[in-house]
Amino acid sequence: MKDSTQQPVDVSINLRINGQMTQLDVPPNVVLLDALRNRLDLTGTKKGCDHGQCGACTVLVNGEAVNSCLSLAVVHDGDDITTVEGLADGPDDNQTLSPIQQAFLDNDAFQCGYCTPGQMVSATELLTNHNVGTSDADIAEAMSGNICRCGAYKNIVAAVQSARSTHDNRG
Amino acid sequence: MSETTIGSAVARVEGIDKLTGRARYAADVHPEGMTHAYGVYSTIARGRIVSIDTSVADEMPGVIEIFHHDNFPKLHRSPASFPEENMVDELRTPFEDDEVHYAGQFVALVVADTFEHARDAAYRVKVSYDAASAAANLAMGREAGETEANRTERGDADSAYAGADVKIDATYTTPVETHNPMEMHATTARWVDGRLIVHESTQGVIFARNTLAKNFDLDPSQIEVHADFIGSGFGGKLWLWPHSLATCAAARELGRPVQFMLPRQNMFTTSGHRAETSQHMQLGAKADGTLTSIIHDSINSTSSINTFVEDCGGATSSLYASDALRVSHSTAVVSRGTPTSMRAPGAGVGLFALESAMDELAIELDMDPLELRRKNFTDTDPNDGKPWSSNHILECYDRAAERFGWAERNKAIGSMRDGDWLIGQGVAACNWDAMRNPCDARVILRPDGSATVHCATQDIGTGTYTIIAQTAADTLGIDIERVHVVIGDSTFPHGQISGGSWATASILPAIVGACKTAADKLIEYAAKDGAPMAGAPTDDLIFEAGVVKNGQGDRAAPGDILTPLKLPHAIGDFHSDGSPDDGYAYGSFGVNFVEIGWNPNTAQLKVRRVVSAIDAGAIINDATARNQVEGAIVMGLGSALFEATEYDERTARPVNNNYAEYLVPVNADMPALDVILLNHPDYHLNELGARGIGEIGLTGVQAAVANAIYHATGKRIRDLPITLDKIMDDTA
Repeated sequence: MKDSTQQPVDVSINLRINGQMTQLDVPPNVVLLDALRNRLDLTGTKKGCDHGQCGACTVLVNGEAVNSCLSLAVVHDGDDITTVEGLADGPDDNQTLSPIQQAFLDNDAFQCGYCTPGQMVSATELLTNHNVGTSDADIAEAMSGNICRCGAYKNIVAAVQSARSTHDNRG
Repeated sequence: MSETTIGSAVARVEGIDKLTGRARYAADVHPEGMTHAYGVYSTIARGRIVSIDTSVADEMPGVIEIFHHDNFPKLHRSPASFPEENMVDELRTPFEDDEVHYAGQFVALVVADTFEHARDAAYRVKVSYDAASAAANLAMGREAGETEANRTERGDADSAYAGADVKIDATYTTPVETHNPMEMHATTARWVDGRLIVHESTQGVIFARNTLAKNFDLDPSQIEVHADFIGSGFGGKLWLWPHSLATCAAARELGRPVQFMLPRQNMFTTSGHRAETSQHMQLGAKADGTLTSIIHDSINSTSSINTFVEDCGGATSSLYASDALRVSHSTAVVSRGTPTSMRAPGAGVGLFALESAMDELAIELDMDPLELRRKNFTDTDPNDGKPWSSNHILECYDRAAERFGWAERNKAIGSMRDGDWLIGQGVAACNWDAMRNPCDARVILRPDGSATVHCATQDIGTGTYTIIAQTAADTLGIDIERVHVVIGDSTFPHGQISGGSWATASILPAIVGACKTAADKLIEYAAKDGAPMAGAPTDDLIFEAGVVKNGQGDRAAPGDILTPLKLPHAIGDFHSDGSPDDGYAYGSFGVNFVEIGWNPNTAQLKVRRVVSAIDAGAIINDATARNQVEGAIVMGLGSALFEATEYDERTARPVNNNYAEYLVPVNADMPALDVILLNHPDYHLNELGARGIGEIGLTGVQAAVANAIYHATGKRIRDLPITLDKIMDDTA
């Protein structure tokens, strides 16, 4: 019988997080979400269910939106990861919000703010995803993997549409 | 002078923090040396713990301690007093004894060096039970007995009903709903030199502090509760639940900080829920629609730990005129945790019954349902005869009906179509109490012209940060960028809970008062020796647009006054009182119009649009207020169509305790929303004319949906949620 109390061996991985190379020694059963939050103090990414059902933990992995609670950290060796902390440009005291962040602010597309990092990361991916249509219904459908219990859905669609028009106009 | 901001759609002042990930919620705080806790939860719904075997778990990597009823420190119960502000709904403290009252009750707490280690070890704790029979639902609980909690009576409701021209007699049921805020309950606790410092996801830092003071027999001044940001609560975070106490106690025992986050599946068991209800409605009316009797007898599920009464008939007793009325509430014990307030407690489910019954009565009378409501309008609260301070529900009816196009509605069942889709249109009134409670605040004016506001309240996402900043900016006449709002800290002046839709009406008068008091203090300083207006009678000085002025047109900015006096700031403290006892009844009012589509070929149901008009007093921020009402409608649609915590009858365990199976509305479920905010100030309640807006939007939504579905299909659904099988059931 395998000794269930045996300590798993940490695995050394390299992640490029928000543009910065980060080396991390992590046990193989740690999910990316908990690695970000508990081991790298990147707490902007939120835990809403730990089951991949709510979208609060969404991050970009090599440009693709991923539920970080369902993904083991060790499989991301060498990956490029963007979290909510990496959406804006510039230092903390003089940041330029990304078009999605600015649109969320201008359209009051949040209330408590807890699902918002995941919403914005999903929306950021949506701007470059040409498989998604451009109607309000298309946006609502595409954003339905991110639950907002405060129910700010109308404003979230308005924010994505606003950011999309800015993005498209920039070419 | 700055532009006034009250009433406009000012962007949230804490928005940047939330949008950049800098906002720290309870589990985002990581004190040095922090450990992680994970719970072990009962798998039986009733009975006793025979033994807890931690032998394997104790040896797991990283495990520091495993607490359970045999080794947990004895805590004190809170008196659970609302006036003393130490309310709790689960009276029992964690690990108090070996009794199990519900499935998912805490039976052990593992503390380890990492989250993964704590979770792994928790899975290896073996608990054996002596299980007893459990009541899995309200019907099973009622078999063991019912207890009447209270009743309100006017006249002889039974006789009036018996003699009515037209009668409706129907029973409506609503299931357990679970709050499910996006942020799971979380506690990060540490003890420093005998003081307890807690970062808690709470709707009330003062209530949390006072409760912990009872649990640990400390003076409230020895406890700090912090809640800078809260991932909302919807009532589930009004009072503390067992995990908070357990985490604080574990931190004390271990002498190390402990963090705990309640897993989503246990958000369904050990942190409250909306009670299951069965509501018997009887309405009697004259042939012209005048109500002659209203009878609303309801019963709700409660727990074996505490009695929670869902105030289903609270709104029923005052929304319509009727000389005869009986509203009664009873409870039955079910093997679940204790229910608690969930957004619009009472009216949230009560108006489903009343407003469905009103629709049934209108059909029986062959009367327009909106006309029936107009006919029974009351300009006084029928309970005590007091006139409403401000009630514009008739204007709500008119404006929303016009916007919706109610006049074009064909009342015949199934008569309206859009291609393959049958269209149904329904209406229901909204109602919620209006209250204010005592509140203190402090305003600090600094030499740089900025103002800092301190208040021991919190912002659960409703916009409290922003409306406090607006109120201070407008009162002081300075730019909102110069106002710093610091809340979510129990050490600040006594503030209010974020609940009951009374935060706005309670807090803002204290902010106004504190601003004026701080300005008076600055005037006092301005007239001191060495200050710019030395010797001036203070009565001749005014504070305007952020500066002190005298009759000669001289101006002195805060820095001109404070700097030569070497003073850091001018402080104003203010206490504002609770609801005035001035002969008025206070309430907020509104109406929801709903249009649904039903495709009988594909059995698809779609809410197409909702038009609401809400009379909630003066609107302080048009964006955050509108967002609140829209969000409440969304939750009301969830209640109408999706939400029900289902319990296995054999085990009394919730079977859909996750976001995949407990369905809440997602973006694609959204109808077109059109919210009209009447914005009529209610100056009887406070000088800003503001009431509250967090709850009213949810009330009546389910009835409006049910009434619309009846209009389309002829199916009267009296049991929430209105799932497709109920519409398709031809046997009912």
